[in-house]
Amino acid sequence: MNETILYTQKLSVGYGEKTVVSDIDLSAAAGQLLCLIGPNGAGKSTLLKTLIRALPPVRGEIMLAGRALRDYRERELARLCAAVLTGKPEPELMRCGEVVAAGRYPYTGRLGLLTEKDRRVVREMMEKVGIAALAERDFTRVSDGQRQRVLLARALCQQPRLLVLDEPTSFLDIRHKLEFLRLLRALSKERQIAVVMSMHELELAERFADTLLCIKDGRVDRSGAPAEIFSGGYIDSLYGMETGSYESLFGTYRKRKNAGVT
Amino acid sequence: MSMSRTKRSLLCFLLLAVLALGLGLTNLAVGSTRIGAGALLRALFSGDRTESAARIVWGIRLPRLLAAALLGGALSVAGFLLQTFFSNPIAGPFVLGVSSGAKLTVALTMIACLERGVSLSAWGMIGAAFPGALLAIGCLLLAAGRTRGMARLIVCGVMIGYICSSITDFVVTFADDSHIVNLHYWTMGSFSGVDWAELGTAALIAAAGLVCCVFLAKPMAAWQLGEDYAASMGVNIRRFRLALIGLSSLLAACVTAFAGPISFVGIAVPQLMKGLFQTARPGVLIPACFLGGAGFCLGCDLLARTLFAPTELAIGSVTALFGAPVVIWILLRRGKGGGV
Repeated sequence: MNETILYTQKLSVGYGEKTVVSDIDLSAAAGQLLCLIGPNGAGKSTLLKTLIRALPPVRGEIMLAGRALRDYRERELARLCAAVLTGKPEPELMRCGEVVAAGRYPYTGRLGLLTEKDRRVVREMMEKVGIAALAERDFTRVSDGQRQRVLLARALCQQPRLLVLDEPTSFLDIRHKLEFLRLLRALSKERQIAVVMSMHELELAERFADTLLCIKDGRVDRSGAPAEIFSGGYIDSLYGMETGSYESLFGTYRKRKNAGVT
Repeated sequence: MSMSRTKRSLLCFLLLAVLALGLGLTNLAVGSTRIGAGALLRALFSGDRTESAARIVWGIRLPRLLAAALLGGALSVAGFLLQTFFSNPIAGPFVLGVSSGAKLTVALTMIACLERGVSLSAWGMIGAAFPGALLAIGCLLLAAGRTRGMARLIVCGVMIGYICSSITDFVVTFADDSHIVNLHYWTMGSFSGVDWAELGTAALIAAAGLVCCVFLAKPMAAWQLGEDYAASMGVNIRRFRLALIGLSSLLAACVTAFAGPISFVGIAVPQLMKGLFQTARPGVLIPACFLGGAGFCLGCDLLARTLFAPTELAIGSVTALFGAPVVIWILLRRGKGGGV
């Protein structure tokens, strides 16, 4: 059994007193992908923001690596938990290499100067995600797929044990979606990182996630292995569609997959 | 890449230093009385300060050029801080109304002091300017919120600036006649009124401010990726905001207290430096903006003094003449979707 990095107890998330999702009990284990699915506006982003402490929880407890999330100092937390957020950052005149190197923030001294070790980590992460050649390119000028990889490398530079990603594949074409998710899964296994992410691409969530967490109507509607979630027409009810519509649309794809395509 | 980035940065720093030094020396030599190289050297290093050249150099030109360099540098750094903070390339202490806010409180304090017949000390001036700068930026943050929209922020800032300026005008108009000359002169902006004592105070504050800026360079670099990423990397957002607003206000207040409101330096110089150094890294740009701002203001002050001598131009007119086109250039380039 993999080590549990993050778990929540009776967690309610929201803004101020307004609860968006309540009573969440989730756990994320090292080397595993936990994927949040559910309709737009269900509160997936709110939950993810709460898990990285960008929002305070409304109620309940979040435990990260054996300690309450609220007890961490900024620097300690940033060494344990990194994020790839939605939205496109548009830093002025910043090269991809500099964006990646920004991830060393919780390790550098007061002046933020990179040591030889920091540089080594930056190089290693860029090679890992396959963007070493982009180091000198302007960050705002690379393609969407490349940008997500740069942001992933940046997050990895924090050497986190928990990686939180909010819809990281949304703007990518199918080839880049697949490449990104394969990369993420491989990195998660290799470095024993617990990954928590939200996604809209159900067919990919089914294939890549170890556990799915379905959020609907302000609560965790169901959670479990993809095989359980994707059975019995549940997806239709999760997204409020007519029974059988998901199955009829993606049935062919699923059959092909079952025939042995990895 | 043809040239390594460190090498390019060093070369640019060297260029800026040579430029500032050259303009400084020209400022010493040129004026109503021309001072030749030999006389200048003698005046600077002989120790005899009674000679007429020495009196001009030490009594008038040197404090003025040091003020231009120091305050110009401080203003540019304040501009860079604000541009980074608002992720807005045309933000600056003047357009955002910070300088005008400082001007207002200094004018009020000056009048209050003049009525009682006391003159305001250098520290008193800064003490009066700082709350005004903070007040203006406070209003701006309330009015524009955290909007990333470039236009709304700038329009709010310009309006706050106008409000502060018009209140200043009322106050100056209704002040006692004898005080007006003094005040009116100051509200136009000039480096000429700064004496050695004030210069010392300004230098102390600018130096302290710059040292703090150097320590702010690290969180600023993280902030350039956006507030959420900065927070996720361990930046204490509240503390960072306070420090940055406080510092940029202090620097802008210091400049306004001694030289009056000076327009466009705070926008134009950081942009020119970004173009020259081809980076927005705070660690490089903070010193670059200081040096560049010093050079820019030395050049502008030289023109202000000499262009229509013996009549002097307001320094703000000259800085606007060179600074405003830079802003137009930025907007045009942005319109074309140009990045680097």
